[in-house]
Amino acid sequence: MGANEITEDKLNLFIDKQLDTDEMNEIHQILLDDKNLRERVCQLKAVRELVGYAYSEVPPSRYEKEKEKNSNSVYVKAIAASVTLVVGVLLGWVSHQYVPGSMNTVSAENVFQYVANQVTVNHRQRKIVLHIDSSDVQVVDAALKEVDYLLATYRNANAPLKLDVVTNKTGIDILRSKVSPYVDRIQELATNDNVSFYACSRAIAKASKKDGLEVMMMPGVITHRTVKDLISDRLQHGWVYIKA
Amino acid sequence: MKIVKNVLAAFSLKSEFAARRNKLYRIAYSWCHDSTLADDLAQEAIYKAIKNAAKLRDVNTLDTWLYRILFNCWQDYLRVKGRNVEFVEIHDDAQLEHDESYQQSQIVDRVRASIEKLPMPLREVVTLADFAGFSYAQIAEIIDVPVGTVMSRLFRARTNLKQQLLDFGSDELVEFKLRRVK
Repeated sequence: MGANEITEDKLNLFIDKQLDTDEMNEIHQILLDDKNLRERVCQLKAVRELVGYAYSEVPPSRYEKEKEKNSNSVYVKAIAASVTLVVGVLLGWVSHQYVPGSMNTVSAENVFQYVANQVTVNHRQRKIVLHIDSSDVQVVDAALKEVDYLLATYRNANAPLKLDVVTNKTGIDILRSKVSPYVDRIQELATNDNVSFYACSRAIAKASKKDGLEVMMMPGVITHRTVKDLISDRLQHGWVYIKA
Repeated sequence: MKIVKNVLAAFSLKSEFAARRNKLYRIAYSWCHDSTLADDLAQEAIYKAIKNAAKLRDVNTLDTWLYRILFNCWQDYLRVKGRNVEFVEIHDDAQLEHDESYQQSQIVDRVRASIEKLPMPLREVVTLADFAGFSYAQIAEIIDVPVGTVMSRLFRARTNLKQQLLDFGSDELVEFKLRRVK
């Protein structure tokens, strides 16, 4: 099945997990390579999350008003806090894009990805996998800004976040010791913010062969046989995928 | 002994209904965008549920059963008022005093306005799926249509909403913001 053969109604079934396991896996695999399809999925997910978000806070019913009189409702406060967080993120993004020189690579995919990701924060641990497959300065800068942004958002919301940055192809270069210009930044993220960094073993082997020398990764970088398998596995376990 | 058991079961069900009242109200609100009407619908649904509690065969299907009652109350209301009744949401202007609340209402307004433009059957399905979190099969049970119809309505609703919301964060949002500031 190619990306073009995946109809919108099939994508609806996909985001609602109404397809059988084989079809779900097949689409997960195609998603890894097809930006267009990822964008379509993100948009649909965003619509779904926005509908939920639109009614997360409604005018209180008479019953609630009565109840509130009797007790200061912790539940309502929790919802309000969660909604405020979402709005902060949404508007944070909106203003983010108007800042000159900010992430130029932001696309509709990112907008909807953010919406889809953030709306359901709700103080449960969110697991996000950020995929970098290029050492292009713009891409890496955008990705690291994204990391900072996510960490700040969840920190401000006092919500737990597990963030893994996975690299393959030339993306592994950012994790190479003595080569990467981002050594300090990455080590700080790993040490202070508990971000895990993964590099694809195949990409390391290829780079070693190409450069004719052993490619060394920074301390703490975890190597994985294939990053695509790693991402696929994460997706099946409820992680949110963001492509830099 | 059986009577005591039945009484206890009835009390237990009643508390189950009460625990779901807030969610019923929210769903009703997502359909009608009118807090008073949503309150009445939730109240009526709870009343009918208590009255017909004996008809509930399987407690595991409580949610579907309860929402089906709510849906029927809503359909009865539409039948009496005429299906084309237009709901205008009343905004709480006091909310706009604070920046955060203003920003929040801006996004919510935008999404709700898009949902309001959907034909009612699409609105009902999309809120049951995406707000209440029911599965296709449960929605089919609640609104009494085949699962295929649920799928098709949900697909049409999301496609429609996607088109309306794709401009999120674009110039249109800025215009929207300015219009609200005036």
